[in-house]
This record gives sequence, C-alpha cells and structure tokens, in this order.
Amino acid sequence: MVDALARNAPALTSARFSVSKGLITVGSATVILFLISGVLAPSSISGTSLSGMLPIACVLAVAGLGQMLVVQQGGIDLSVPGMISLTAVIVTHNPDGNDALLLPAIALALVFAVVAGFANGLMIGSLRLNPIIATLGTNALLYGADLAISGGRPRITTKLMQTISGGQTFGIPNAVFFALGVLIVVSVLVKKTVAGRRFEAVGANPEAARAIGLRVRSHQTLAYVWAQLLYCLAGIMIAGITAQPSAFEGDKFLLPSVAVVVLGGTSLLGGRGFPLATLIAAVFLQQLTQFVITLGVSTAIQTLVQAAALAVGVSLYTVNWRAVFARFSRTPSVPPPPTAAPPAPSSLENTTPAAASADAV
Amino acid sequence: MKPRTRFASIAAAAVAAALILTGCGTAGGASAGGGNTASAGPVTHVDGAPAWCGTKPISFALLDGFGGNSWRLVTTASGKAEAQLCPSVTKFSYADGQGSTEKASSDIKGLVSSGVNAMVVFPDAGKAMLPALTAAYNAGVVTVPYRVDPGGAAGTNYDKWIGDDFANDGTNWANWIQKNVPSGGNILFLGGPAGNSQSTDEYNAMTKVLGTSYSFIGETPFQPTNWDPTLTQQLLTADIAKYPKIDVIVSDFGPTLVSSLPLFPQSGRSIPALATSDGNSLSCFWEDNHAANPDFKLMTVATGNDNVRLAVDYAVAKATGGAIPTADSFKGPIFEDSVSQQPNGVKCDRSLPGDVYLSAQMPGTDQAALGK
Repeated sequence: MVDALARNAPALTSARFSVSKGLITVGSATVILFLISGVLAPSSISGTSLSGMLPIACVLAVAGLGQMLVVQQGGIDLSVPGMISLTAVIVTHNPDGNDALLLPAIALALVFAVVAGFANGLMIGSLRLNPIIATLGTNALLYGADLAISGGRPRITTKLMQTISGGQTFGIPNAVFFALGVLIVVSVLVKKTVAGRRFEAVGANPEAARAIGLRVRSHQTLAYVWAQLLYCLAGIMIAGITAQPSAFEGDKFLLPSVAVVVLGGTSLLGGRGFPLATLIAAVFLQQLTQFVITLGVSTAIQTLVQAAALAVGVSLYTVNWRAVFARFSRTPSVPPPPTAAPPAPSSLENTTPAAASADAV
Repeated sequence: MKPRTRFASIAAAAVAAALILTGCGTAGGASAGGGNTASAGPVTHVDGAPAWCGTKPISFALLDGFGGNSWRLVTTASGKAEAQLCPSVTKFSYADGQGSTEKASSDIKGLVSSGVNAMVVFPDAGKAMLPALTAAYNAGVVTVPYRVDPGGAAGTNYDKWIGDDFANDGTNWANWIQKNVPSGGNILFLGGPAGNSQSTDEYNAMTKVLGTSYSFIGETPFQPTNWDPTLTQQLLTADIAKYPKIDVIVSDFGPTLVSSLPLFPQSGRSIPALATSDGNSLSCFWEDNHAANPDFKLMTVATGNDNVRLAVDYAVAKATGGAIPTADSFKGPIFEDSVSQQPNGVKCDRSLPGDVYLSAQMPGTDQAALGK
C-alpha cells in the first residue's frame, strides 16, 4: 500500500529516523539559497530581514500543512484564501480594537472553519464531487460571509493580537513558535498515532484501505476539517502580523500553499505527507522572495526568478530525469525494425510526455 | 400552457428582446452623441439640490475595481452620499471587481445592460479597462472613470476622466522634504502596483522639485507594494536590511506602513521622516512613537476619498442635465504637518477606529459606522 511517490522515491532509512527525498531536496535547496543570499545579497539574511521574512513564511507553512493533509487524501483545497480572509476579518472586525472580544471572535472563526471543513469533506468524501469544484464553491461562500460580516472592511488588529501573533519572544517572531507547534502536532498525529497511520494508508490507496475495513470517507472528510482549522490559525496569525489586514488577505496564499506541499515532496496523488519538508519549503519560497527583493531587480525579474525556482523544484519530482538523460545520452544505433511492437502502457508511467512520445516513435 | 404555445411565447420574447437590444444599440450610438448634446442643452436644476443636479431622472452606478479595504469603503459611501444629494438619481447601484479585471469589465457590461444612465468607475486595471469603458460610452451611458488613468480620450472612449492631481501630492511631499531634510538624503518611495499611473506621476513630480542632493533608493520609480500591508512589510524589511541610511520614506497609502514602521526601532534605528497620505491609525502611531524616534516627522496629504464626489457630480450633471462642474481633477490638500502644525498638527482621534480618514468630507463617526 504505497503511493506513486513512495514507489519511486524510497526514503533513506536508518535505525530510528527516515529522511525523505523531499526533505533532502528542499533542505539542500534552502541551504544553497541561504548561501547564495549570503554571497549576493548579504542583507537578505540579516536579522532585520529574517524578522520580516519568517512570520510570513510561518503563515504560509501553517496553511501549507493544512493543504498537505488534503493533498495526502488525493484532494486539493482551493478554499484557503476564503478561510484565511474570513478569519482575518472576523478576528479584527468583531473585536474592533477591544481585546475582551478577541476570544469570542476566534471561537466564531473556528466554528466557521469546522463548518466549512465539513462542507468540503462531505461534498468530496461522501458525495464524490470533484475537489476543485467543491472547494472553489466553498471559497466563494466563505468570501460571501467575509463581505457580509465586514462590508469589505476589516478593522485594526487589537493590541493583544498584535502582541501575540505579531510580537517576538527572545528575539524570535512568535509566528515561528506557532508554526513549530503546528508542525509537531501534525507530525505526531500523522506519523505516531494509529489514526494518523490509517489516515496515510487511506490516502495512499483508498480501495485497499476500504478492503481492510478502514473508514475511508471519515478520513477523507476529516482531512478537510483539519485543513480548515489550520487555515483559520493562519488567518489569525496574518491578522496579528499585519496590523490592518485587507478583506482579501488570503488570496496571496492559495498557490504558494500548494507549491510548498509539492516542493516538500508530498505527491498530488495522495499518500505519505512530509510535514517538516513542507515547512522548510515555505521558508525556501519566502526567502527566495526576500532574496530577489533585496537584489533590487525589477518586479518582472522577481516574478520570473520565483517562477523558475518553482518550476525547477516541481520538476525534480514530476520529471523522470533518469529517462530524460538516458534519452539524450543514448548513442545513435540501428533503427528498430518497423514491426517493433509499441511499448507496453506500463512502461510509460512516470515519464514526461516528451519521453513518452519518443518511446512510442 | 401547452408546450408548443410555451415555445412560441419564449421565441416571441427572444425576438422582442433582440429587437429591443438592437434598438438600444442604435439609440445608444446616437445618444453617445446625445450625451454631448445634453451638456450643450439647457441646464436644468432641481430646487434645493446642488447646481449639478438636473431634472431628468436617472439610474446611477458606482463601480470599483477592488473594494476590499477601508479606504474604498469610505470612498464608496462618499460617492453614494454625494449621489443622494440629487433627487433625480432614482436608483443607485454598486459593483466591486474584487481585484479581477475580468469581473470589473463584466460588471460594467452588466450594469449597462441593466439600463443605468450614468456610471462612475474606478478603473484599477488602467488601460485594460478601456474596452469596457468604451463599450459603455458607445451604449449611451454617461461614463466617468476617476482617479486611475484608463488611457483613451474623453469624447471617444468615455465622457470625462476625473483624475486626482497626483503630481500636486508629489510636489507637496518634495517641498516638505526640502524644508525638513534640507541637506539632502536617501528617499525610499513605496508606491502601489507596478506601473500604476498614480505612483509614477508622484515620482515624476518629486524628481522635478528635488535637486541632486536627494537620491531615490530601491526600485525606481517606486517599490511596488500593491498597497498591501503584508507585501509592504516584506519590502520594508528588505530595505531596512539593505540600506543603512534611509532619511525619508514616501508612501502614497500611509496606513499600510503602520505594521512595518516598528521594524526600525527593532533594528536599533529611528523611524525616519515620513511624507504620505493620512489615516487615523498612522496619526495615532505617530503620537505613540515620535518621542522615542527623534527623526520621525510626519506630513500627510488628504488621502483623496473625496475625489469620487467630483466624479459623481460630473456624471450626474451630464446625465440629468445639471450644471457641469468646471474642475476637472481633484487636488488633495496638505492635511497634517507635525513640524509646522500647518494647516493641522497630527490629528489622532482615539475614540474612532484606526481606519477612518479624518481628511475626508464624511465625518469620522459616520465612517466608523460603515460596514457594521
């Protein structure tokens, strides 16, 4: 019962720890990025720069961990922006600067998260709707609530929330502690509990899981609920970090939340999740942004560099480089006889379209 | 109703609708010219209403490209309040493009087909909005884009563009910088989305006034922040780390800086002089922090919520047959100056939320009640 990624990317194992290919890849890339940053734009790794970069990276990491849980079940969640924006609106608009009203506002946001999560989960897990369509619909509903509550206008974050979410402890942004806390909780629950192991098993192969009596629908439904709770936390964090959030604060986290999951090595087909690699991927993406900003290149170049880095990162997992290299390094030989049988479909698995068509020729 | 009869009815309705639409198109083409003749015709006036309010009843629409922040909420409410001063405006509609050019264009087309007579549009996407604006104008709707320049020409693509004189803001900032940082220095200019005409006009005006002793650091003409507090924070952290000497920050949306400015004291540096636009949160932030930050002088220009009022006046006047205003752009006055105290010192009202704009014509208490 292994997913496509696990088949092709065996973990490096020792007696007690296993290190995934994703962790090695994104970890090395992050180290290299910081080294390049240190050489080409030293100020991008200064304390000031990191204190600005890390909180946003941590929000992305928390949203990314939520997305990872959904992706583990072979789904995708496009309601990330709606939940983050709605939470930012609720926890700023409802208290309206009054710290005493902060807790009820957070409780209300959590209620919305649970309801939205169950809505997504039931539509996808039980009614078998396409996750893209279902979560897009939920996203629209969440934005409807967002605008209904705020009229498009969040308020200033309360002092307490600015201190908790946007403050620092021992010189480290508090957002880092939130992200590490979430990382530990998700890792322990998924990797070290019976329910978590079943959760991964269901994601890797729902049919087999059903055959051995696991509650496939429940696991798939709950993935969306846990995810929404994490988006809700991300919304609380970003509301505290930016003193005056906009009503569309979550928009900028949609694609990056998927990108960090893929960069972290979690297969979009479902199965094993890699929480630590996902968190590091969030730091990688955010540091990349900080690096290109510090370089002082134009916005167009910044966007191109980020896109190129993302394309390279994703291609590490999705392209069968061994086949590509083999194709280009193969010396011209005697052409195959015209009656040669076409390759079996199974041999096309995990090859690029280019490689596949070349095989077929 | 038998199926065949029902089908015939639907077909008849469709043909009728097509004929009506065709008629509208033809009439629209004529009334595009007709729109111009309205202004040349006799000026009418509703007693007790402003001079720009004529007697012809109209349906009016206000359209935003992005309505998701408090500035837009106050601006929208100001536009609505202005339109309501004229009893001839019998119906008011509002649409928010939510940051999507496609939605903003389709909002325009939707309201044109719903029969509005006049519309005021905030064309956030600039020239990308020109086809939709032109279509509205050609359909005979009095079309008045405001604030952001959509390109094109008045009388061809729309009736009139009511801009904000952003160059005036740039000149005011530059004059203040010369007076308060007289020996020259490094200026960091944080603007809106890349390429937007507002920030570019401001930059050009500043460079005309400021001599060679001042240099703009970072990306020129401006660092694009999208007027987004999160992105502003990211950019500013990079800038603080990169530039050991920042003497002045100029920003055309001051309140987005409130979450970022504490990065200076966190880095052991004073918050520098700030020339920007007003906002209650920013003013209160200055009150709380200027003592500990000796370089933190503040000057603001009015943030321009009332730009929409002039655009509404123009559109309603043209559509109802009222007297068309002579002013063709909004000039935001200087609002606060922490040094000269002229025309005002820094105005922080702690009884009001941070996201009200005390420079606006709409009272702060009314702004605070919006969106509740």
